[in-house]
Amino acid sequence: MSTKPAALYHRIVVWALFAMLLLPLLGTFLYSISTSWSATVLPDGLTLKWYIQLWTEPRFLNAFLQSILVCVGALLLATVLILPLLFVVHYHFPKLDGLMNVLILLPFAVPPVVSSVGLLQLYGSGPLAMTGTPWILVGCYFTIALPFMYRAITNNLLAINIRDLMDAAHLLGASTWKAALLVILPNLRKGLVVSLLLSFSFLFAEFVFANLLVGTRYETLQVYLNNMRNSSGHFSSALVISYFFFVLMFTWIANRLNRDRG
Amino acid sequence: MSFLSIQKLDKRYGTTSIFTGIDCEIARGEFVTLLGPSGCGKSTLLRCIAGLTDVSGGRILVDGQDIVPLPPQKRGIGMVFQSYALFPNMTAAQNVAFGLRMQKVGKTESDKRVVDALAMVELGEFAARYPSQLSGGQCQRVALARSLVTRPRLLLLDEPLSALDARIRKLLREQIRGIQQELGLTTIFVTHDQEEALTMSDRIFLMNAGQIVQSGDAETLYTAPVDAFAAGFIGNYNLLDACVAEALLRRTMTCRIAIRPEAIGFGGDIDAQIKGHSLLGNVIRYRVEARGVELVVDVLNRSAADLHATGTLVGLSIDDSAIREVA
Repeated sequence: MSTKPAALYHRIVVWALFAMLLLPLLGTFLYSISTSWSATVLPDGLTLKWYIQLWTEPRFLNAFLQSILVCVGALLLATVLILPLLFVVHYHFPKLDGLMNVLILLPFAVPPVVSSVGLLQLYGSGPLAMTGTPWILVGCYFTIALPFMYRAITNNLLAINIRDLMDAAHLLGASTWKAALLVILPNLRKGLVVSLLLSFSFLFAEFVFANLLVGTRYETLQVYLNNMRNSSGHFSSALVISYFFFVLMFTWIANRLNRDRG
Repeated sequence: MSFLSIQKLDKRYGTTSIFTGIDCEIARGEFVTLLGPSGCGKSTLLRCIAGLTDVSGGRILVDGQDIVPLPPQKRGIGMVFQSYALFPNMTAAQNVAFGLRMQKVGKTESDKRVVDALAMVELGEFAARYPSQLSGGQCQRVALARSLVTRPRLLLLDEPLSALDARIRKLLREQIRGIQQELGLTTIFVTHDQEEALTMSDRIFLMNAGQIVQSGDAETLYTAPVDAFAAGFIGNYNLLDACVAEALLRRTMTCRIAIRPEAIGFGGDIDAQIKGHSLLGNVIRYRVEARGVELVVDVLNRSAADLHATGTLVGLSIDDSAIREVA
């Protein structure tokens, strides 16, 4: 058990860190609701006009929607491919899990800029030409989401002893398909939802691949934010705060679901 | 004619043989235990009967029908696993109803059978609980109800009590045996625990290294082990090589012998010294040295006054009829 001075010290460190992280955000928020704020300690006045301007701006709304579409597309692809893959690996070929753990780390082994150049060369021309289209982003984001989803669902699978559950279901008359659908899949629901929400938050913030592979031809939120960097600081701040709350909401839901698992 | 007939059953993984040429016959309504140490092939044999593991050769006949070509779903076999294997997303009642759902039994009939099955394992009031809200013993009883509700023709129990504490184990083994006798269900029980095997079974198949080394009722296995392995695995036999036995008994011996610890008593003409003792509840287990031979002796724990302290000199008697010659 920690002593009183030690507990106080720990508390101060935590609060100092919290303040350090929160202050820039508070500053940005304050800037996003100020009429103007340049030569004074406090803003001249408060307004919501930057938010109204932002949320009525067609280009922003389009970028926001396109970001959601690309992320949802990538995560749908990931779900459709990873769930059967995990089932096959863990039920039929458990020894392949070691190999999979190496494979899923590959997207992180290559820096995004290097990887983007490779993707541009590979998909820039020829029969698979898709640079500048959302499809290349969907494929690329799938590889980024893969490790998060694979690990989260694997942990879920290890907790339920898939082999015995499948054997029990088979002996009770279920086919492999029915056993997977009625017994295994419902037990992966929480792991899947949590990994999807966390991956969504992560992909929603992705900039390097979006900018290099697609750029303004299919503008995502981060690319839009980059392109608007020279516009009004108040407007950009409203954009950053809106983005932050959107991602915060997703992360909060993921954490809530994760906590419910106990 | 036997109900279950296993004929020359082989199981190999690549070049590694798990068991070879297993033959056994089990009568209808019999409670049979496959007993043996870890890795002897007993669980694999059970999984082969269930159809969860392919066999490499041989036949398994149930009521005259060869079930080897059938998938597990079509064998009509119920099984209880050591890990319970309850479906975590379903309540106790839904778990029990799962097999009936797969058989497309009507809701009214299914509900009635689920209630009956849970009542049989005395868990009627726990029907709405999820496995995570049940204790280990309760989970295993739900698993038992789930395997019985489909009215299987054969029940397989794969070390179902191994993960439970001693008190629950004892209660549950009595409950399993009671239900099995009530239903007259042919049952194969796998365990490495000799006490479980001896107390529950009509017949025991003792396995070692992929072979059935001895089969028979509990008394035969306990009193007449066929070899040193059987003597070592069942009970706490004193196993003595021929030359050691000659030194102890002072007569010519031609092979190894086994003497049960309770067949040796105090108050004989063999001089011995107490080397130590341990209390096993109603039995005191002594370690004694007699004529240079160390022996284990079990005596009833009648009173503290009868206890022999370490170093005490005693006389031993050995019941001649309890000396078994083993290969």
